[in-house]
Amino acid sequence: MPNSRQLESQRSKSDRRARLLGNYRPLAGVHDELISPDGDIRPQWHALLDEWTNLTPGELTRRTALADRHLSDAGVSYRIRDEVDLDDMLSGERSWPMSHMPLPISEDEWRTIEAGVSQRAGLIEAVLRDIYGPGRLIAEGALPAAAVTGSPDYLRPLHGAAVPGGQHLQMYACDLGRGPDGKWWVLGDRTQAPSGAGYALENRLAMARAFPDLYRALNVERLASFFQGFRAGLVSGARRADPRICLLTPGPLSESYFEQAYLARYLGFLLVEGGDLVMRNNMVHVRTIAGLKRADVIWRRVDGDFTDPLELNASSRLGVAGLLHAIRQENVVVANGPGSGVVESRALMSFLPKLSRKVLGQDLLLPNIATWWCGQPRERKTVMDRIDEMAIASAFRADIRGASDGEPLIMSEQGSEARAEMIAAIQTRGVDYVGQEVVKISTMPVLRADGTLEPRPFALRVYATATPDGWRVMPGGFCRTSDRLDARAVTMREGARSSDVWVLSEKPVEQVTLLPPPDQIQIRRVVGNLPSRVADNLFWLGRYLERAEGVLRLTRTLLGRMIDADIRMPGQQDAVKRLSGMLVAWGAAPGARAPAMRQAFAALHGLDHYGSAAACMREAKRTASVTRERLSVDAWRLIGDLTRNLERETADLPTEGEGYETADRALRALAAFSGLAEENMNRGAGWRFLEIGRRVERAITTCRFARQFGDQSGPAEHLDVLLDLIDSQITYRSRYLVGLAFHPVIDMVLFDEYNPRSVAFQIARLDAEVAALPSVRDDGLMELPRRLSLKLAADVATSRTDQVDRAFILTIEQRLMGLSEAVASRYFLQSGVDAPSPKS
Amino acid sequence: MLYNIRHITTYTYNSAVPFARCVLRMFPRIEPGQTVMSSALTITPHATERRDSICFFGNRVASITIEKPHKALTVSVTSLVEVMQPGLLGLDVSQSWEMIRDEAADSVSLEASSPVHFLFQSRLVPIEPTAVAYAMPSFPPGRSVLDGITDLMHRMKADFTYDPKATEVSTPLAQALENRRGVCQDFAHVMISGLRGLGLPAAYVSGYLRTIPPPGKKRLEGADATHAWVSVWCGHGLGWVGLDPTNDIFAENDHIVVARGRDYADVSPLDGVIVGSGGQSIDVKVDVEPLG
Repeated sequence: MPNSRQLESQRSKSDRRARLLGNYRPLAGVHDELISPDGDIRPQWHALLDEWTNLTPGELTRRTALADRHLSDAGVSYRIRDEVDLDDMLSGERSWPMSHMPLPISEDEWRTIEAGVSQRAGLIEAVLRDIYGPGRLIAEGALPAAAVTGSPDYLRPLHGAAVPGGQHLQMYACDLGRGPDGKWWVLGDRTQAPSGAGYALENRLAMARAFPDLYRALNVERLASFFQGFRAGLVSGARRADPRICLLTPGPLSESYFEQAYLARYLGFLLVEGGDLVMRNNMVHVRTIAGLKRADVIWRRVDGDFTDPLELNASSRLGVAGLLHAIRQENVVVANGPGSGVVESRALMSFLPKLSRKVLGQDLLLPNIATWWCGQPRERKTVMDRIDEMAIASAFRADIRGASDGEPLIMSEQGSEARAEMIAAIQTRGVDYVGQEVVKISTMPVLRADGTLEPRPFALRVYATATPDGWRVMPGGFCRTSDRLDARAVTMREGARSSDVWVLSEKPVEQVTLLPPPDQIQIRRVVGNLPSRVADNLFWLGRYLERAEGVLRLTRTLLGRMIDADIRMPGQQDAVKRLSGMLVAWGAAPGARAPAMRQAFAALHGLDHYGSAAACMREAKRTASVTRERLSVDAWRLIGDLTRNLERETADLPTEGEGYETADRALRALAAFSGLAEENMNRGAGWRFLEIGRRVERAITTCRFARQFGDQSGPAEHLDVLLDLIDSQITYRSRYLVGLAFHPVIDMVLFDEYNPRSVAFQIARLDAEVAALPSVRDDGLMELPRRLSLKLAADVATSRTDQVDRAFILTIEQRLMGLSEAVASRYFLQSGVDAPSPKS
Repeated sequence: MLYNIRHITTYTYNSAVPFARCVLRMFPRIEPGQTVMSSALTITPHATERRDSICFFGNRVASITIEKPHKALTVSVTSLVEVMQPGLLGLDVSQSWEMIRDEAADSVSLEASSPVHFLFQSRLVPIEPTAVAYAMPSFPPGRSVLDGITDLMHRMKADFTYDPKATEVSTPLAQALENRRGVCQDFAHVMISGLRGLGLPAAYVSGYLRTIPPPGKKRLEGADATHAWVSVWCGHGLGWVGLDPTNDIFAENDHIVVARGRDYADVSPLDGVIVGSGGQSIDVKVDVEPLG
């Protein structure tokens, strides 16, 4: 007999179950993943629901919040293209919405999907080889030539070209939906540059972290081996044993930039933009701070037509001039092959059942959604005869009249005029259209905010990769649920939310990580060479962070004076005036006539003042966002938090005390960032440029403080302010029992190498970092940046306070700027020529 | 007819260009009816690298790299070309335009001369409903394709005004069509858009016209610059037929072909990546001298 406590827990568990499922009503005539037509819960859900209902509502809330936090902390986001504003790369960024209920799929069912997807990937690869090769399928009439040439992704210059690595497709994906008969149907193929695999991986990490017990108990198959296979496939195609693999991104404005940055980091690839690449001797090279380095493999996320402005779209700035010729010479592996998008079209899909029988001698294991290309008389007639049951769509990827974004038009919903127009259009240019059957796809449960489930239609993207041992299918996928109840497959848009997909193994799953066997690991301490563009961004990240710090210090000191000091004293009044004058000069605050409080407020939050702390942090965040794959999650989060805090809108002017508090908190956050960079970042070249940027800016800022407040004849209050600004009050008082005096204060600010805030300290660090940068000279002479930093360090180290006046400080400031420019022109991307040619 | 052709293009930049990598499509094509005796290219400043090749459409392409900073780039091509086109025999043996349309869509070849490459919209030639509506009256049901395209060419000559000030290289064809003004490139694009809209394969041809007209004939428009016209696929028997809507004539022995493609973007004389800031100006001189 169960005791009362067990009974109680049983009762609350069944209550929870009743509540979870209480409102769940599958749609009529549609397959539902959770509930069978006779009202039973389908078997693959039993264990999941059982574990799920073990959790109390409070526990569930905590766990789903944990998953969401994981996603938002990792900066998981996607961009909505319409909202992207070129001037502000941070607009249009949204958190990735994840539905917390995963989609479980039984092992048996998964094996069917797996076999079907592998078969399809193999078939499509064979079709691609034929299209760009001998063209037998076309000559023999199995595939009409116009079904190929109608695609804007058919790249004529690759006709007859070599296929380095032997594969057009390294990664293939297709979207699946389950029809009313319970069978899976292919809704579309993705061969150009399939996206979403990174999101699938992130969703998995978030779910595995939030529900570790559930995840283990259900024997969910792991994703890592898929990515391992993908990397092995890329490596095996390259000519060199230890190839340099680059992920070519269209840049931070791309919808899936996060995913690209995330995958580059996860797989250990170099994230590059077209501008990072350059052709020399018909080989692709990456511009790095150590000169040009050969790229062996390019995993492209740039559409094929944009990869080479010389032979393809001449207006593209996303690719690299001469890439196709390098491919023809088999000097670089490009995955997927630039022309592989041609098989994504609906026209081509309509021929796959026939092509499968012809090429493979088999029927497709996963059928297509039925599609008729109107470029052929018989198919055109079929579509015309049944037009009211059909959806009409572009045969390729153009927009058709009456629909946008390449979406289909459901004919039964059109008026008679639109219908007649469509019929006329198909009769004149049938080649542009396909008719598709309107299939209803299945629904799956999505968790609502109130903790109950509701059915939503979904499409499942499944990935396959060509490994040296054949096609491998990712056990899981990227599942997108619609926010609408319309379950017709053709109306499925990009999806509103995503879910993790759990393939439930019947036995405990093997742990696979990306680690190769120990004997294959070559120990290395530095990964590749830093691309010049990344170095540039990290340098500016350092400068913006430090500039924000300078403004915050000025503002805090200003507010501190307004709170504590006797403002009527002439020395104090002058100090306040000078502090606010500096804020104005730095572009952080409105003109000197504005009240000091208004100026302090603008210096903290005023986005319309380019020099304000908020504006500097926004710039810092922008540069951080384009080098996100180089920053730790914590560092990224700190920058995000700080930017948000400074940007938040306050209508009311805060009090001096509140403003002081804000500046103080922001300075603490910046100190935390410094700590992270100091303790957690590898001392690679990336860290070095961040450090150089910070040191240069801090040295310049400190010189400026000293020029304003380090006057030999000025009042003692000025020296007091100066010590405040460089945070050295306590040190000074512990060293000098007498009051404030010019020489000791100025020594502490400019020359004291023990004081981490002094100019000399910054310059000594700068020189050390500049000395450690790579040299591309082969004559053994020093590079210009080092010549400048070494001389500056020596001059500052050997100077004495009696030489100091404003002109002296200004000279140091100017030499720092000269050093900064020398670093920029030597290491960053300036133009096509200054990158030295490779030696071999 | 034998021609001596000089084509000199000078790009002048406002500030020095440190690096240039371009493709040039300026050599006359080698094709049936046209023999290229010689063709010489001179580039100033000297190209660091030069590679000659034939592109998908059979055009001759030179890829060059210049690594020396320069404020001007001069590309000069001198060619000796013989043109001997059989011409249309004055006897219309072409099929109805609807049959041509269906035959083209049914093609089983991806060869460069296959009509399937010229059926669809391309970078610079969208299928404009207005262009299709304009072309439509020339193609009543059952009319022979040659009749149809000849009629369309006559109508265009009557309706459009040659006006170099009306458009630029980047002007969309819809605008030239709306204003009924433009240059050879615009007329060719408008005609191609209309023909493709009806399902007929139409290609863009760039080249030269003889500068000095034969005695007693009018000097042709576009003779002192590079020219462009249209080529229409008229079935397996007749093949490709060239028409010059700017001058309302068939392209025969007065036309020297440099490149063929789907639109101007496929045949543009110079494409490339020029690293540099600031604007540029371009000066083109063409001289086509008939040697008899």
